[in-house]
Amino acid sequence: MELPSKINNNEKSLQQGISPSGNGGLISNSKLTALVVDSDRICQILEKAILESQGVETQVVGSGRDALDLLASGATFNLIIIAMVLPIMNGVETTRQIRAMGIRSKMLGVTACSYEREKQAFLDAGVDEFIEKPLTPQKLASIMREMRNA
Amino acid sequence: MERTQQHRQVAHMRQSLFDQGLLDEQFVQLEELQDDANPNFVEEVVTLFYRDSARLVLNIDQALDKSPLDFSKLDSYMHQFKGSASSIGAKKVKSECTLFREYCKAGNGEGCMKTFQQLKKDYAVLRKKLETYFQVIFHSLLFDKDGEN
Repeated sequence: MELPSKINNNEKSLQQGISPSGNGGLISNSKLTALVVDSDRICQILEKAILESQGVETQVVGSGRDALDLLASGATFNLIIIAMVLPIMNGVETTRQIRAMGIRSKMLGVTACSYEREKQAFLDAGVDEFIEKPLTPQKLASIMREMRNA
Repeated sequence: MERTQQHRQVAHMRQSLFDQGLLDEQFVQLEELQDDANPNFVEEVVTLFYRDSARLVLNIDQALDKSPLDFSKLDSYMHQFKGSASSIGAKKVKSECTLFREYCKAGNGEGCMKTFQQLKKDYAVLRKKLETYFQVIFHSLLFDKDGEN
């Protein structure tokens, strides 16, 4: 089955490591940018679709390692949406390492988990907010409003 | 069948998926992301879900066959499964994922197995109903096109 452009573009994004803009990831001053870090394809597609429907330039990576490499290359994002369960290096450890790099982007931890202890671990690692999957346009809209007003 | 009847059939089928507790509001969010550029977005995301989750179902089945049970591994698989099931609005499947994880936390192997058997049934029922629903939508759209010509 041929996947439609919305899903195919997402697949292409998985191979893209660097923003084409040459200025470290910010496509334009007026557009917000986001990085989705999630190994689940459905979640990647959904989160990217929601972000793009709200005018956010979005890149997607499937692992913590890929996220760190992308950020280390100079790419910058207004928002990083990061899943808790990731291959090899989990979301909590990835978040710690992102913060240790000095990156101050807004970070939103997302997970299907509902255990308090695990939520707290994510917050302690450095995410600004934590939500239970799935991400919805309403949840994202309020975060976007805060970011645009900041 | 008249165009109006076709549309009514689609609406009725859709509503019954919610009334039976199979889908929740998240499915509506998927529908709202569908547009003219991607008119089959919902169907394709659902198809992808069933394709990708088949591997997880197999992994969980295999892990439940082992002795002793590795509850941490089972929980991790189910965590992933729950994430994508909730993303397509699979309400019943999602609640069974939550129950399964509770049994994992309690180290209750029998509870895990029973819940997973039920989950697989509901997962298959939802798949069948959604496939039928998408087919009816497809025929309805064909009917609309014929009507225009």
